[in-house]
This record gives sequence, C-alpha cells and structure tokens, in this order.
Amino acid sequence: MNGRERVLSALRRIETSRVPLGEIGGGYTDTIIQAVLGDKYDLGSDGYFLNHQRIRELLGADIVGARVVGPAVEIVGTHEDWGTETYKDYWGATHTQPPDATVQLVDPIAHSPEELASWQPPNVSHFDSTQVARWKDSSAFFVLATMNAGFDLGYELLGFERFMMWTLQARETMKQYYEKLIETNLSMALMSAEAGADGILIADDLAFNTGTFVDPEYLRTDYFPILKNMISEIKKTGLPVFFHSDGDLRNIIPDLIDCGIDVLQSCDPNANMDIPTLKGEYGQDLAFMGNIDVDLLANGTVQQVENTTRTLIQDARSGGGFILGTSNVVASYCQPENLKAMYAMAHKELK
Amino acid sequence: MSTNSIQQAIVMGNVASISADVKRLLDAGINSQQILDEQLLPGMAIVGERFKQNEMFLPQVLMSAQAMQTAIDILKPYLAENSEARKRKTVIIGTVKGDMHDIGKNLVRIMLIGAGFEVIDLGVNVPAQRFLEASSQHQATVVCLSALLSSTMNNMKEVVEAFRNHPELKGTKILIGGAPVSREFSKSIGADGYAPTAPAAVERVQQFCGQ
Repeated sequence: MNGRERVLSALRRIETSRVPLGEIGGGYTDTIIQAVLGDKYDLGSDGYFLNHQRIRELLGADIVGARVVGPAVEIVGTHEDWGTETYKDYWGATHTQPPDATVQLVDPIAHSPEELASWQPPNVSHFDSTQVARWKDSSAFFVLATMNAGFDLGYELLGFERFMMWTLQARETMKQYYEKLIETNLSMALMSAEAGADGILIADDLAFNTGTFVDPEYLRTDYFPILKNMISEIKKTGLPVFFHSDGDLRNIIPDLIDCGIDVLQSCDPNANMDIPTLKGEYGQDLAFMGNIDVDLLANGTVQQVENTTRTLIQDARSGGGFILGTSNVVASYCQPENLKAMYAMAHKELK
Repeated sequence: MSTNSIQQAIVMGNVASISADVKRLLDAGINSQQILDEQLLPGMAIVGERFKQNEMFLPQVLMSAQAMQTAIDILKPYLAENSEARKRKTVIIGTVKGDMHDIGKNLVRIMLIGAGFEVIDLGVNVPAQRFLEASSQHQATVVCLSALLSSTMNNMKEVVEAFRNHPELKGTKILIGGAPVSREFSKSIGADGYAPTAPAAVERVQQFCGQ
C-alpha cells in the first residue's frame, strides 16, 4: 500500500496496518531537512524537489504538500529598520522578510474600507500548477494542494487589527472581500485538481488557543456561507477537502462539517483539540490530522516523543479517520532526533 | 448625559460618541480622575471579563480599546493639571528578539491600556538592551515579554538577566507570556510571573502595581 492509498483508506474510515502520517504545506523547514538528510541533502538546481522527496522517503511519510504558484514578487525597496528588501506580492500587499524571522506585512492592500471595496484580486489564468502535476506524476505520495480562503489570507493582506475592526465597521465590504479572495483561491483549487492533486488543503486560521478570534455567530452569518460555496465547488471534482486552522475550534466544528470539510488538521493539544476525544464526538462526519505538539518536538526528549506518539496512535487509530502529524509544520527549532522518533513510532506501532 | 452612558460607550466600543460624552462631563465640572475611575476603567473591566468568558471577541475588544484611548486622550491634559489625579503606572511591552509575532502582545497592550496603564509598546524583535533603555527612560513598573516560538522564548532569559544585573532596574517586575511559555519556565529564568491569557496578564500587572 503506498502513501496515497493509505491516506485515502483513512478518509474512507478503513483502518490500515499502520496509520498514515505526514505534514501539510512544505511540511519541513530547510534547516530540518538538512539536519535529517545530512550528506544526502542536494545542493543542485532541482534540490527543492529532491530534498523534499528524500526526507519523506527517509521518514516514511505518506503526504506531500504542493502549490499553484503565482507570479514572482516585485522588489520595491528596503525596509528602514531591518535593511531587508521589501517586495509586493501578486495580491498587492508589500512584505519583508527580516533576518531569522517570519515574513512581515509592510503595506496592506487597503488603508480604508473604501479602498478595500475597489480592490481587485489577481487574475490566476497565468498561474502555474506544474509543481502539483510533478509530484503526482513522479511519486506515490498523497498530493495535498495548499491554498487559502478568505479569513486568514484576509488579515495577512490587511493587517490583523485593521481586519478585525473592519469586521464590525464595514461588514458588507468585508463580505465582498471574502468573496473576492475565495473566488481566486477556488480557481487555484480547481487548477490543482486538474493537475492531479489528491486532496485540497484550505489553510485558514480562525482561532487562538482559547477560542475563535471573532464571534462564532459572525462566522455563521458573514463568512461560512461563502466558505461553504467554495468547498462545494471543490467537492464537485471528487477531491477531499482538508481544513487547517490553529486554535480551539470546538465551538465551530459542527459549522465546519456543515461547510463540507472532510479532514480537520492541526488539532493542537495546547488548544484542547484532542483527536481521540474529537473522533468520539465527530468521527462519523470528520477525519482528523495532526495532534503532535511542535513544542514537544522542540523541547521534549526522544522518550517523551515516543510515548506521546504511541499513546495517540493507540487512542486514535480505531476505524481509520486519523492521520498522524504535527499540529503545524516541523519548524526549524525542532530536534531532528525527535522528528525521527515520532515518525519511526508510527512504523513500529502496527495494528 | 448620565455618567453610565460613558461606561456603556466603552463596553459598546462607541468611538463616535465618546469624545462628546467625555467633554460634556468635563464641562459639567466632573473631575477627570473621577471620570477615569468611575466610568472608563469599570467599562473596560466589564470588557475584560466578557472577553474572558467568551461573551466578547477580539473585534469588540479592539473597538472598546479604541473608545478608551479616545477618552484618555481627551482626559490627559485635565489629569495632568489635576492635583488629585494619580500618576498612571507605566508598563513596557514587546516581543523578544528573533520573534516577529505580535497578535498576543498587541492584545495584552490593548487590555492594559483599557485597564488604565500607560503602555509603551516596543514592537517585535526587541533586544534586551532596548527593554532596559525604555524601562529607564519611562520609569516602568512592569515589563511584559512575549514570544510565540520555542526557539525565541529562550531570549526572554537574556532580558531577565539584563534587568537583574542592572543596578537601578533589577527590581523591575517582569511578566512573560506566549504560547510556548509556562509557569515553570517563568520560574526557571527568574521572571516574576507568567500569564496564559491577556486578561490574566492584566490581573498580574495590577497585582505587581498593588492594585
């Protein structure tokens, strides 16, 4: 049974001899890949593909993330404080990448609701889906194509606080904004499906560890109906829809099921998202992926990682519907030995 | 104009009406400290409690904080002239070096302002020296450190050590927060406290300030 078949079995609620396992998106940062691959790390022009293939083969992972790629960013200046290049992305927002840090928004796509109302998303007709096709054609991994929807991407392009305030101050404009973002991401999902993706991942952070950023009622009236349309269109292709959000989503899981998602990913134990418990409540309607704390991989011992992973597999595997992975992605500060121990345990702990 | 309507304007985040409401009370001869203590701060206390209970959410808290800031900006010159007014305690806040995450830090900042503190926000990726300089410059009572990453939370230790080794600032209270940190970690680096949520951070800062 290859990775693709193993993941599909889990989604059909068939319990396989070992649980499927893997990560979303890029999955593993380059620092981790170098540490795990050592001499096998490829420095050539095709290194990205080869290294991502090799680390998955070495760890025995079943999933690879892929993306439809838009036009290259346009360098527009230098950041005053950090001295790093500032660049405009194809959405129209300007960012910079400070040293040893995550990408920062420098200039949003709009400074007022009026500006936002006239903002137009990019045309995706010249976006490139060959990365998706290449993974499908040359590997047996489950190819999970990643995109966004309207909420997480929405605040990344506007800035978090501005976005949150406008959900109250400019409700109609924000609904139109979600529609524009979702229309573009839906096009990317359909391109991914055409290129051979096995599943679509919508990455859309909606919550803190203590609950949703906004009132669930707001999501129900202003956002989920638009998200539901997106998912409905994706599902016409026959592909399963994975949904990633950090945080405590327990108040809105029934809403996400109603939107049509098949798999909920992240399930961070720090946010009270325990997969065995969630499976007991929603396992008929939803499969779950993740649940290993990234901080455990960073700060725990090999023994602790093995024990946590073994217990999770034993408690969550029954009847399928479970994919083992971290609750985010394997960050550069994780310990390579812990990562290997987590994946090795999935291969040891057989039915 | 009833004074309760100011409290209500804070809870409802009514930025549009609060300026006129506060000015009207001042014109009626009500003491600026009394407006702060009896209307604005209780209003934000309600907001903090409702947020803690998941009865209010981030957008509403942001609107309330903006209303609070608007009211405080109007009161500031009156408080400065008011011999009965208490000096507001100053809190320095920032995300430690190497870490660019600011959602949690910003939420704590907003709720501290709402609780009546003077807050100096140093932003993200802040080195230890900058925390020292700002504390000295603003005579801060409390310093709040934020980190989201396991890799950067260890930089909190560097900040704590810098304060403990500084002859004038070694007694400054240091509070830490962020997803990967814990009470145990706080103790291990010699910080004075840990707060798992923004409302908890406000409570800890109030304790440090004897409130």
